[in-house]
Amino acid sequence: MKLTKEIEDSFIALLEDRGVQLEGNILKLIKTDNPEFKKYIDNAKEADAKARRDRLAITKQVQSQMQDLELKKTQLEEKAVENEDLLKNLEEALEAAEGAKKAAIDDLDLLQKKTQFELIGNIVNVALWVIMAVGVTTTVLYVVALFLNGNGPDTTLIGNTWSNLLGILLTNSFSIIGTIMGVKYASETTPKKPGESV
Amino acid sequence: MIKSILLVDDENLFHLVFEDACSLLDITLDLRSITSSDAAAKLFAEWQNDPKGKPECVFVDLNIIGSSFDGIELIKKINYEYGNGVVVGIISSSADQAEIEKSKLAGSQFWIIKSDDIEPRLELFKNDYAGYKNRTNEFKVYR
Repeated sequence: MKLTKEIEDSFIALLEDRGVQLEGNILKLIKTDNPEFKKYIDNAKEADAKARRDRLAITKQVQSQMQDLELKKTQLEEKAVENEDLLKNLEEALEAAEGAKKAAIDDLDLLQKKTQFELIGNIVNVALWVIMAVGVTTTVLYVVALFLNGNGPDTTLIGNTWSNLLGILLTNSFSIIGTIMGVKYASETTPKKPGESV
Repeated sequence: MIKSILLVDDENLFHLVFEDACSLLDITLDLRSITSSDAAAKLFAEWQNDPKGKPECVFVDLNIIGSSFDGIELIKKINYEYGNGVVVGIISSSADQAEIEKSKLAGSQFWIIKSDDIEPRLELFKNDYAGYKNRTNEFKVYR
């Protein structure tokens, strides 16, 4: 592409007056025989190439930084997934630990109840043996008194005492059994219904 | 010098790199860049009826994010659906041999590996271009 001398001079004047010159690929298409304009074109080409080299360097730098950022983003995303898996595993482990704790508490409760029940059984045995022993002793005393004194005033007294004592022992026996049953039911834990107050 | 080039790449920054590199190496004066393989396919479909503006050479990225098909598929379409008639190849950061073989089967004539230092490869390509244009050059990978 060839320009007229007038246009070439206008471009040169434009550069001198306002510092504006042609740039881009159009410079590669312009042909001239005018040495002054040839110099203008050569300088413009050089300036354009420098600007492109600079821009290319900056663009490459930005591109590289973008790639680094992209890589870091991917790594962070992978880390987040890892952390999520870890959290999930922790939650599962916590759940398992809670289950084990509940089982241990249940076992301990059962053991306590068993011990309590055995203790109550022993108390009942001892109490019943004491009651039976007192009953048998009193009866023996009453029988001995009947044989030795016949129907004397002492025998009547011992008879009344014997019958009172048997009544009291019987009442105490029921009282002990009642107490034991009460303790047994009181120690049983029943699950509360939702909204139920103590 | 190549008469006209079409670059199909989803990365806008690479458009700038490619444009500046082509200008500095005097590869072409007419460069058009688009970001989607769908848009490229549409253009080639139009150029089948009216070849005005059809590029002489096409550089296609392998993975074009946001497009419904990849670069290899686009090359296949250009070669087998839209009448071919262009020098076409892949420009990608990937050097996956399986993908390279696939592109070759699709009719790709070259594979340029993108990197920070793209200019030497483009210069080599520029020197080989005549062979691609008259179809005498074998498929080549610019590493």
